[in-house]
Parts: sequence; structure tokens; C-alpha cells
Amino acid sequence: MALDFSIILRFQDALLLGLWMTLKLTLICVILGCTLGFLVGLARTSRSVMLRAISSIYVEFFRGTPVLIQLFWIFFCLPLILGIELSNLASGVIALTLYMGAITSETFRASLKSVGPEQLDACIALGLPRRIQVINVILPQAVLRAIPTLLSNCVSLFKESALVSAVGMADLMFVGQNISNNTARPVEVLTIVALIYFVIAFPLTRAVSLIERRILAKLAI
Amino acid sequence: MTAPTTPPLVRMQSLHKSYGPAIQVLKGLDIEMQPGERLVVIGPSGGGKSTLLRVMMGLEKIDRGSITFGGKPYISSDGLDKKTNIDTEVRRSIGMVFQHYTLFPHLNVVENLILAPCKVRKERKSDATERAVGLLTRFGLAAKAKAYPAQLSGGQKQRVAIARALMLDPKLMLFDEVTSALDPELVAEVEQVILQLAAQKMPMMIVTHDMWFAKNIASRVIFCAGGVVVEDGPPEQVLGSPKEERTRDFIDRVFHIRQ
Ligand SMILES: Nc1ncnc2c1ncn2[C@@H]1O[C@H](COP(=O)(O)OP(=O)(O)OP(=O)(O)O)[C@@H](O)[C@H]1O
Ligand SMILES: [Mg+2]
Repeated sequence: MALDFSIILRFQDALLLGLWMTLKLTLICVILGCTLGFLVGLARTSRSVMLRAISSIYVEFFRGTPVLIQLFWIFFCLPLILGIELSNLASGVIALTLYMGAITSETFRASLKSVGPEQLDACIALGLPRRIQVINVILPQAVLRAIPTLLSNCVSLFKESALVSAVGMADLMFVGQNISNNTARPVEVLTIVALIYFVIAFPLTRAVSLIERRILAKLAI
Repeated sequence: MTAPTTPPLVRMQSLHKSYGPAIQVLKGLDIEMQPGERLVVIGPSGGGKSTLLRVMMGLEKIDRGSITFGGKPYISSDGLDKKTNIDTEVRRSIGMVFQHYTLFPHLNVVENLILAPCKVRKERKSDATERAVGLLTRFGLAAKAKAYPAQLSGGQKQRVAIARALMLDPKLMLFDEVTSALDPELVAEVEQVILQLAAQKMPMMIVTHDMWFAKNIASRVIFCAGGVVVEDGPPEQVLGSPKEERTRDFIDRVFHIRQ
């Protein structure tokens, strides 16, 4: 069969719109998910048994089930239970935020734990009040240490976001599938769509090692 | 000997400390330290020297006993409700340097020095920075003001740690084996800085395994073993001709290893 990649050009605008939706969705869920993940990471190291139990159940549940099921459950079951309509954008955002929250909470938990007890000793010896210990000493080190893994988490989210096409959100994957069905040119279209995902994800994964080499090595954190 | 006219700088009474029921580390320590004294604490590994300094710094709870500083009680526990009362205001007069530097890795040298003055004493950043640069210059570290801890040698890190503690104008400095993590050729530069402080009459309590340093810095030496003070006296006595058998064994062994 003859391949004709130029047909892609006819659907440039549609693909760009899909890409924009994917990026928007990823960005929203990165921000919401990281915030959630940080709080859950704190909760999992908290002294309250209750907080630890709730946060652990949440994390283990979301890490132990397919994202597609989570998405379907929120799209189909949650409206039934709550008795409200959820737009597919809203259910996509909720599902991916919960997913991102679960995986980043592990990242934050590990990085919080990696700030050694001797750092706290130094804080006490310098008479730093608790608030300053957390804000000026522990948090910055935990966040810096978390950055490489957080970036990988973002790449995962970006890729997993393609699942929202299954509930009819017009993201890059959805648009690609549509075009491929309508033109009967799956090889060209799906290859190009895959390439678009790759071209965006790849620099991010490279950035991880760059940051590890440059910043973290300089600080030896 | 006549009784001292000023109150002791530090008075520890009946300090008891254990880690769980099985590990009794301090078994009733009574130590008095006069102003201007430089107390060197020596003793076998596991004898509770670090624990003693950590207790004085308020880093560890105690089971029973009390410590006063300049006549003011600041750490106490009556042994009944398992609570250790710590007066943080008094504790701020004490500075401590640890074996493993414990600089803040995400802050550069000057930022490490000015964090506590700015956040605790609300000193202006420019004033604190000026003082920091002055101290660094005195310790031969002016060129490293903007460096991060990871870019420093062990000896430089330890000098920065000392400068950081001095930024708070402590009335007593605690040093816990501050040279034992260092390469041998870096030990002298750190010891020089501490000797420099000694020359300025800074009261200090030093835990060290370096007998040369102990001899040179101490105004008084305490040999601690098994959670109690075994021998206490001037350096010539404790290091030179100890009265107690256990001290003698220890000194012989340490000097033997050093040769
Ligand atoms: N956090 C802790 N939990 C349990 N046991 C501890 C803890 N810290 C110290 N110990 C124990 O307490 C005892 C005294 O320890 P400490 O560190 O005070 O001794 P040291 O005299 O400083 O020894 P070294 O010369 O090796 O530094 C040791 O037996 C040690 O194992
Ligand atoms: Mg020790």
C-alpha cells in the first residue's frame, strides 16, 4: 500500500484543537493533582492514625486499579450516585486529578522522608521555630528532591490522558481516532498522533536527567 | 580551693537518660561547668558523650534530672510524667556543631548563616549578611560565601557550621566530634578555628577522640564511661597521669591506636 502522510495537513486544525485539549487537561490535572498529592503525602506521614488510614486507602486503591476503570466509574457511576450531571470534561479532570494525586503523593512522601533527622537537629540547635523549620528547611529540600520524579509523573499523566477519549472528550487521541476512521488511513494518522505525543513527552523525560545532573548534583540533595 | 563567687555556667544534676527500658545511657550525671571553662569530654564509644551534648542542646528528652544555665533552670524532668521541660529562650544561648556538618544543602553559605538571625531574631538581612561575611573572612572562607555546601570540602563545611552557630552569639558552644568525619589533612584547619574561639574565652564543651587537640584546648577534662563520670580534673592529670584504672586503660588504648 502507498503511504500518503500529506493527508495529515488537511486535518491540521482538528489535530491542533485536540492537542490543545490534551495539554489543557494535563496542565489542569498537574496543578490540581500535585496539590492533592502534596497534601496526601503529608497526611500519610502525619501522626493521626485516621488521616494515615484514609490517605493510604485512597492511594493504594488508585494505584491498584486501571485508570480506565476509574475514569469510567467517575463518568458513569458517580453521576448516578450523586444524582447530578457531570460533563465529560469534569469527569476527565476529576479522574486524572485523583490519579495524579495518588502517584505524586508517593513522590512527595518519599522526598519528605528523605530529609534526614539531622536537618531537624540543626534547626533545633539554631532555635528555629517549627514553622520556619517546615517552610525554610524541610519543604524546599523535599520539593527539590521530588522534581525529577514529579516530572516523570507529569509525563505519565500526559500519556494516560489519552484515555479520556474513551468517554468522548475531544482530545488529541479522540481526534486522531476520528480522522483515522473517517479517512481509513490508520497507519499515517495514528503514526503522526503517536509522534506528536512523543515529541512532547521526550524532552520532558530528558529534562529529568538534566535537572538531576545540574541542579541536584550541585546541591547534592 | 575557694568556692567560686559567680554561679556556675552550667550545672547538671542527676541526669538520667535511657533509650527504652533496655538502654540506660546516662546514669545520674552531675557536672558543673564554671564560666570560661573549656571542658573536654572523652570516653569509650557508646559511653553517652553525644547523648550528653544532645540532652544539653534539648535534642533529647531525659528521664530525670535538671540542667541550669547561668543559674537559670532550662531543662528538667521530675521522672514522673515522662515530660521534659525545655526553656527554649535559655537554650538559644547555646550553640552546637555536629560531627556530620548538617548544613542546609539547598542554601548557600551566607544563606545558611543568616537564616536563624533573620528568622529568629528578626535581624535585617543586610545587617546579618554583613556579620556573616565578617565571620567568614575571619575563618578564611570569604571566597566561599556564595558556594553551596556540596561544593565545599569537609573542613570548609565544618568551619561554616561553626560560623553559623556563632551568628547567634552563643554563650556556650558544644562540639561533638567535629573533626572525626574529616580527612586527616583537614583536621587542623577546623581545630585552628576552635582554638581561635578558645583564645577569645568562649566557654565550650568538646567531645573528641583527638588527644593532641584535647590537650591543647582543654582547661578541664572529664572521662565518661558507662553513663557516669569516672574521672574529672585538669588535662595534665586526666590525660597525663590518670588516677583511675579505667581512665588509664582508655588513654593507653587511644594513644596506642594513634601511633
Ligand atoms: N536514638 C537512639 N536510639 C537508641 N539507642 C541510642 C540512640 N542514640 C544512641 N543510642 C545508644 O546510646 C548509647 C550511647 O550513645 P552515644 O552516641 O551517646 O555514645 P558516644 O559516647 O557519643 O559514642 P561515640 O564515641 O561512638 O560517638 C549507645 O549504646 C547507643 O547505641
Ligand atoms: Mg558520639
